Amino acid sequence: MSMNRQVRRVGIVVVVLFLALFVQLNYLQVVKAHSLANNPRNVRAVVRDYSEPRGAILTNDGVVVARSVPVDDEFERLRTYPTGPLFAHTSGFFSFTLGASGVEDAYNSDLSGRNLDRQFHNIGDWLIGKEETGDVVLSLSNAAQEAARDALGNRKGSVVALDPSTGEILALWSYPSYDPGPLADHSPKAVQAAYDGYTHDPDNPMLARAYRERYPPGSTFKIVTASTAIETGTANPQSRFPVLRFLALPQSDKQLHNFGDEACGGTMADAFRVSCNTTFAQVGLDLGEKLVDGMKAFGITEDVPFDLPEARASGPAAGTFEHNKPSFANAAIGQGDVAVTPLQMAMVAGAIANGGVLMAPHVAKKIRDPDGRVIRTIGPTVWRRAVSATTAAALTQMMIDVVKRGTGTAAAIPGVTVAGKTGTAENPGGAPHAWFVAFAPAEAPRFAVAVIVEHGGDLGDEATGGRVAAPVAQKVLAKLLSLPGPTTTTTAPGQPNLPSTTTGRPPGGR
Amino acid sequence: MKRPAGTGGAGPDAAARRSTELGLVTLAVILAAGGYVLTALAKGARLPANLAPFAAGAAGLALVAHLAVRRFAPRADGTLLGLAVLLNGIGFVVIARLDPDLARYQSLWTAVGIAAFVATLAAVRRVTDLQRYRYTFALLGIASLLLPAVPGIGQDINGARLWVHLGPLNFQPGEAAKVLLVIFLAAYLVEKRELLSTPTWRVGPVMLPDPKHFAPLLLAWGGSILVMVRETDLGSSLLFFAVFLAMLYIATARASYLGVGTALFVAGATLAYHAFGHVRERVTTWINPWPTADSHGYQLVQALFAFGSGGFAGTGLGLGSPGKIPNAATDFVYAAIGEELGLIGTTAVLLIYLLFIGVGFRIALRAEQPFLKLLAAGLTTILGVQTFIILGGVTRLIPLTGITMPFVSYGGSSLVANFVILALLLRISDEVSRRTDADADAAAPAATGARR
Repeated sequence: MSMNRQVRRVGIVVVVLFLALFVQLNYLQVVKAHSLANNPRNVRAVVRDYSEPRGAILTNDGVVVARSVPVDDEFERLRTYPTGPLFAHTSGFFSFTLGASGVEDAYNSDLSGRNLDRQFHNIGDWLIGKEETGDVVLSLSNAAQEAARDALGNRKGSVVALDPSTGEILALWSYPSYDPGPLADHSPKAVQAAYDGYTHDPDNPMLARAYRERYPPGSTFKIVTASTAIETGTANPQSRFPVLRFLALPQSDKQLHNFGDEACGGTMADAFRVSCNTTFAQVGLDLGEKLVDGMKAFGITEDVPFDLPEARASGPAAGTFEHNKPSFANAAIGQGDVAVTPLQMAMVAGAIANGGVLMAPHVAKKIRDPDGRVIRTIGPTVWRRAVSATTAAALTQMMIDVVKRGTGTAAAIPGVTVAGKTGTAENPGGAPHAWFVAFAPAEAPRFAVAVIVEHGGDLGDEATGGRVAAPVAQKVLAKLLSLPGPTTTTTAPGQPNLPSTTTGRPPGGR
Repeated sequence: MKRPAGTGGAGPDAAARRSTELGLVTLAVILAAGGYVLTALAKGARLPANLAPFAAGAAGLALVAHLAVRRFAPRADGTLLGLAVLLNGIGFVVIARLDPDLARYQSLWTAVGIAAFVATLAAVRRVTDLQRYRYTFALLGIASLLLPAVPGIGQDINGARLWVHLGPLNFQPGEAAKVLLVIFLAAYLVEKRELLSTPTWRVGPVMLPDPKHFAPLLLAWGGSILVMVRETDLGSSLLFFAVFLAMLYIATARASYLGVGTALFVAGATLAYHAFGHVRERVTTWINPWPTADSHGYQLVQALFAFGSGGFAGTGLGLGSPGKIPNAATDFVYAAIGEELGLIGTTAVLLIYLLFIGVGFRIALRAEQPFLKLLAAGLTTILGVQTFIILGGVTRLIPLTGITMPFVSYGGSSLVANFVILALLLRISDEVSRRTDADADAAAPAATGARR
């Protein structure tokens, strides 16, 4: 009796079983593949994103801010931040649990190499699966950022420094800051613990004060008021204003007092130098609705074309002057409805420094491939003309006087003409904020800075922008001016970056 | 056509088979090395540092196996070894991708497996001689099954008590039992098949043979199944059951055994379902894994995700996340293959098994001696059914029962057992070819000395 018939039958059964397997595989890997792959419980897609090769973030002077290092877990790579808190508010974080922020988010497609601009340079690169990620080179330099950090010390506040002719941000410091490293940890528990620690901290270290927090600008805003007055012909630096201790506000029984209840007035230039509130409140009332347009011209209340998500500044609404004149008087001295970011005040100073032309600010300078070839450069881009070159030149002179013999003498640097403006901004949170905005050298500006020390730092109510913030700006400017290297090469002094299409600016006049 | 058989010479057919084998084995090693390189390239533009030792080791082991076949089974089928090396290679690449430490052990176990393969080829000079030791094999088989239950050396891993711990060695004696019991069954069934196929009494509509002949069978089989259920090794229980039934059917040609067997299986399964929580769990998870996707259903759901994420073409070696699947290197290795190599890869693996099984059954069909035929069929069925049980389990075609994927999964005992099965199949093939070649020689006009 041969058993072959049975062997064949058993064989057929096995083949049928395997056919069933093949059908089931088709069901899983073709029919249901999409829904299984995209099932919310299936973390593979997310893991893949976070385990992909990713370029580094570097400062303009070559310091590594963020980079991925190989690790032995499912993500294969760990995002590390060698500079810790120093650049946290610029780089942001790249977290499996929390997502991404800052440059990690804004330049994600460049960092991950998914940018459409990217191309394989040759077939060999493709064959060996070369990592086609991009490194983001910041316009910020480690030296400038450290100078900003050291100058501010452990006072809450912010320092922003930029190149007025290009819009490149050179320092973007907010204190307190945080270390993004723990947020990039692969253990969700560790990330949550770090995140809770940061968010429960009353000082809110994750808040990028430099561009995400809005403050009343105080008297630094008089730059905008004075510029608008000159630009519209409402007043000029020699226009005379009465010497007053306070200004009685229209439509109200309130009085607007000068700082320390002093009496001041005279020419607008004099009033600017000593930061006279009554004069500029009057200018604001004289300007009326034009103040709103003036703010707009400086980009305040507009969406800033910044490469990180900036908080939008605010001011009095258009068309409200006639029934709310006091708010315009207050706005003209940077109080009331006006709230701006430190970045925005640096841009105001930068616009004056750049002959009235406002450049689009940006923290990234270029994208490089792993071999160091530049794939793409960012900026310089003209955003808008804030004021005419003549107006800018007038304001520059007024700001020089502030540092020479006004409220901002603490910002003076021997051998360099510094132009600046102080601010002491009253706020509901406590002691006034100390402000200082400046640029230097005034004849051929290379750097513009804005400094805010929240609640005047340790001097409390005694603080003024001139005593607390101006020395910080002075240190940062002095450091920037002393630096050789990349931050100074992009701008040839006396050759401001202006497009030929810009009109109304006489050559060399600023 | 055919040269007269030389004195002990293997003849031109044998030479052709061996050349085929060498070619296929070389191809398999190249494919494995290619996969190994691709996995490394997925991590960066660098060749794996240990590529040379890997390639040399793989080629060396495959060559040793090939030379052993040349020496001990020169007329054996030329495809089986190549297919086994390919499966082993794919498994190694995936294991190395998942866990380089496990891969080091796996290469060690592969060496042990090849050694067992060579030893089996060398020791079993006449497969028919194995019949003589059938009861020894049965005893050894049952004893190995009982070993993990012995206090002191038994060890629980993943809730199942299948492991024996002797000094630094861990092994699953159930894997050895599987081979031993199939040899016993083949020998016993060949001896008793006439008696077993003659029904002497009936139970209802079913005719049954003399219990005297049936009892030892039932004892060996029932005993092993009970032991395994006790040790919660459901996959092996199912495998034994299926193989036993298939062999009984092949030996007796009585479909009624299949009926009785199926009835017994249903009864046993129902009993197990009610008696064991873990069985219930497996079945519920199989019917719908989603409500328990974070607990009991976790690993199955992760396996399904892996298959789905792999899709048709797969993510590419080293580019998926098969680390998400628990036990990805052992029971769930097929899901890891599914994720990184896609439907193309899973189907290819399926085809390799089908070819292997096809060759196994062909050897059985060509065998004239009943013992060889039944043994070849039994060993092939073990491989086929075991593959089906684990692949069906991880793809949710059938309830999941933990068992290894032959030649592919990480696991020393399983690898050794499968290489022994391969050696036995090749020895049978060699013996079968020796006879048929001799017959062909006899039929040739120039043949000297007629044989019947």
